[in-house]
Amino acid sequence: MGKTSKTVQINMDNQRLEVHRGLTILQAAESNGIYIPTLCAHQDLSPFGGCRMCIVEVEGMRGFPTACTTPVEEGMVIRTKTSQVQAERKEILQLILSEHTSSCLVCDEKVECKEFMGTIRKAGVTTGCRYCPNDDQCELQDVVDYLELDEIGYPVYYRGLRVEKEDPFYDRDYNLCILCGRCIRVCQEVRAANTLAFKQRGRFTVIGPAFDRTHMEAGCEFCGACVSVCPTGALSEKARKWEGKPDREQITTCALCGVGCQMRLLIKGEKIIGSLPAQDPVVNSGQLCVKGRFCVTELVNHHRRLRKPQRHQNGTEVELSWNEAIEAAAAELSVCAPKQFGMLISPNCSNEDLYIAQKFARVAMGSPNIDSSTRTFYGHGFSAYLDLFRQSAPLADLEKSSDILCVGLDARFGRSVVGVALRKAMKRGARIVTINPRPHNLALMADIWLKPILGAEAGLLRSLVKMTERKNSTSRTRAKGQGRGLTQDLLTVAEMLKNAHSPAILVGSEFLQHDKSWQIFELVGRLAQNVGARILPLPAQNNLLGSILMGTYPEILPGGFSSADEKKARQFKKSWSVNLAQFSTGWNASALSTGPRLKVLYLIGENLPGFDQLADFTIYQNIYSPDSPTVDALVLPSAAFTEADGTFINGEGRIQRVRKAVNPPGDALPDWEILCRIARKMGKKGFDFSSAGQIHREISRSVMNLGRFHRPKRKPVPLTWQGRVNVSRPKPSGKVKDGKQIPFLLHASSAEHVYRGFLLTAFVEGARQIFPQDMVDINPKDAQKKGISQGDAVVVSCERFQETWTANIVDEQPPRTLHVTLHQSASLGANPHRVKVKKKDV
Amino acid sequence: MSSEKRAELFSGYQGEEGDLIPILQRVQEKQGYISEEAVRRISRFLKISENQIYGVASFYSQFRFTEPGRNSIKVCLGTACHVRGGQILIDAVERELDISPGETTACGRFDLQRVACLGCCALAPVVQINDDIYSRMTVIRLKEILQNYE
Repeated sequence: MGKTSKTVQINMDNQRLEVHRGLTILQAAESNGIYIPTLCAHQDLSPFGGCRMCIVEVEGMRGFPTACTTPVEEGMVIRTKTSQVQAERKEILQLILSEHTSSCLVCDEKVECKEFMGTIRKAGVTTGCRYCPNDDQCELQDVVDYLELDEIGYPVYYRGLRVEKEDPFYDRDYNLCILCGRCIRVCQEVRAANTLAFKQRGRFTVIGPAFDRTHMEAGCEFCGACVSVCPTGALSEKARKWEGKPDREQITTCALCGVGCQMRLLIKGEKIIGSLPAQDPVVNSGQLCVKGRFCVTELVNHHRRLRKPQRHQNGTEVELSWNEAIEAAAAELSVCAPKQFGMLISPNCSNEDLYIAQKFARVAMGSPNIDSSTRTFYGHGFSAYLDLFRQSAPLADLEKSSDILCVGLDARFGRSVVGVALRKAMKRGARIVTINPRPHNLALMADIWLKPILGAEAGLLRSLVKMTERKNSTSRTRAKGQGRGLTQDLLTVAEMLKNAHSPAILVGSEFLQHDKSWQIFELVGRLAQNVGARILPLPAQNNLLGSILMGTYPEILPGGFSSADEKKARQFKKSWSVNLAQFSTGWNASALSTGPRLKVLYLIGENLPGFDQLADFTIYQNIYSPDSPTVDALVLPSAAFTEADGTFINGEGRIQRVRKAVNPPGDALPDWEILCRIARKMGKKGFDFSSAGQIHREISRSVMNLGRFHRPKRKPVPLTWQGRVNVSRPKPSGKVKDGKQIPFLLHASSAEHVYRGFLLTAFVEGARQIFPQDMVDINPKDAQKKGISQGDAVVVSCERFQETWTANIVDEQPPRTLHVTLHQSASLGANPHRVKVKKKDV
Repeated sequence: MSSEKRAELFSGYQGEEGDLIPILQRVQEKQGYISEEAVRRISRFLKISENQIYGVASFYSQFRFTEPGRNSIKVCLGTACHVRGGQILIDAVERELDISPGETTACGRFDLQRVACLGCCALAPVVQINDDIYSRMTVIRLKEILQNYE
């Protein structure tokens, strides 16, 4: 063994070890299987030296150094478990426990209680004490067991703090806190969110945000990183509080947005009890946002999950067996003409589901009428938005970017994983510019916040494109219609982007429903070309690219080819024996209520208001029961993303595996399987699949190579598609008169906390607190003028609509503008709307 | 906060992390306490989160977060004063004025602070109101003296 400069020789507990230089004693011990107790150290966090549990003896060093903060040195002689070290540790642990509720740690009945759950009451109750939801998963218990501590010699000082339950998703009982500081360090170092800090000092020390603010008020993103690292039960997840230890785990891909985070599902029996981030280095590197971390459990375990096929008829619901249901569906579909059939499928479904759905429409029904609600979600800018994916770059590129422009992005709740990457980029010196007319979470950290006038965003981008076009022309270009201060900022940004060695543009969803969304996305593309920037569009739907590449639109064939492409049509004619060339009914999702009435409407993971009125017969296939009792529909239960195998394609173009973690509830089946069964019943060929893997192989063989099912290609592929989604431009909103005053401008965003057509707020309790429903943001001065106070009912009206929402007064909402988030904002038309506002008469 | 006021608080500082404590001291000197508004301003200037600023500021007893009252009561709890009943005096003020140490009465007349030593241990227990030192205090005398301050 040569002494290289990279390693050092040490002697630990009479073992000669060669370890890497620069490791701490604790790391050296752990990598050689030597246990040193610790409470504050954590592999992802910087050493802290707070709990003093890891003290060791080092020859030649005074006192007992902490193993977590002392680096190894050549020739060090370390003893980790001498009787004196153990005695010191026991003493320190007693001091820690003198402030900690310790009934589960040092009770006389501890051993008996574990076995018989008896209590020390006179009556024969068998409950056992349960003060803490972390029982059996507690690191404090492990250390107490290791040190064999059975009594506490110090007087007990309980702090008697109030348990904090006002915030969503997790409760905080700081009486159980041992002040190890892990939550603070993870919030500062790993998430760079800085919501938590030690407050006061000495025995008054508590953890929390500034002043007496709640986490909600302090800007917490509810990523749950602090809950994950807490060694005690001080921080505990509300939805999983008394579930105990999971039996097993399954790694899968989150289906709640297009980032495609890898997550670990915690499973107990046949129930998912939690979701944690997986250590995936390429996408989310061990991070999740609030949706992935806290919403999945409640979403998939909700009592509104469909368990059995049902027939709804005139207000009665009859449960069916699968055979009866398949027969009923096949009977209706067999007599339906191609033109009279329509199918909508959610982009939350897997590639395998999407592929089978479009094959079902095109081959089994012989109809081109397949579409998705994304058409209305993205509106007329859909094609321009999809074009951005041609120049898209992987998320990991943010690490290399020197200058980052965020266009209409907010990363507090959704996409907070990207927010973390941005804050880390900022820490290492990247400059960040954000374009957004409204307050958003990037505003505080960005170097420059370009704040266009609501409705003038396209103008601002056009100025930026012009300024970056030719050399030295910046100073002469004026930003039309923008203030003078903004022009100066624009010039700075243009210079910055032009000189940047590695710029990147992130595209969020603020402008998706914009009147000029088409221009905005085209301009973003041009800007990126001008300055040589990477584009990272962040779609809200987890499998938007999958829906394009599997061809679930009338204009797009599998592979992303245009349906007008005759060569491709001939190819499909050969493999599917259907003549796609004759297809063009002109039908799409926007024609549902206005076009000719359909005979059969098949909805997969889609939930439209009043859907049973749109066709003579509706097949509703989803994981939840419909919102309102339906008149006449066949309701089929399908599997959620945690219950079926498949693949997704995330916003980067990365093919990701979704794995079945538990069986679907009741009789529910994966979407593809239901479709295949119906097709077989109808006597159609080409639907003999018994697993998602077989479908995957057919896609790889006949459409595009997705790689192997069990190990999909990990390299992201920019979208190559030749299609065009035809969406007509909506009419601009009409004029309104509000006396002599200029009307208010209303910006309505579409909610992105959606899974299979349902808002998460319908199923997840905490989501209701973070995603306000029907709340309209208004500037305090405007509110005062109109006599509106927080929480008042407000009527917002124009020629086309009149809506009543709840007022939410926001300091930084620009004057004479309003903002609201709706389930489907497209129903109002394109943004911004000119509206009148008044307090609702009581 | 107007731009002049902002300049008054931040002039001479580069916006580095290490400027935090001197800025907090200047804010306290100019405004008498650290307000939520001041923390927000400092946070934007230094790009440190409000929560971290509050964490640092609340560690040091020199910073206060409530507006000082017109009169400031300091009750000594140094060793000598503690032994001779300083805590009883604090309890008396708490009952009389309905405030805890570090707080200000709703009318703004008094604020209460607990201090470690006023340097005249022979006269314990000691109470300081504004610049006046009162020695060998009793609960009854303290209540009478409070009447003299408006």
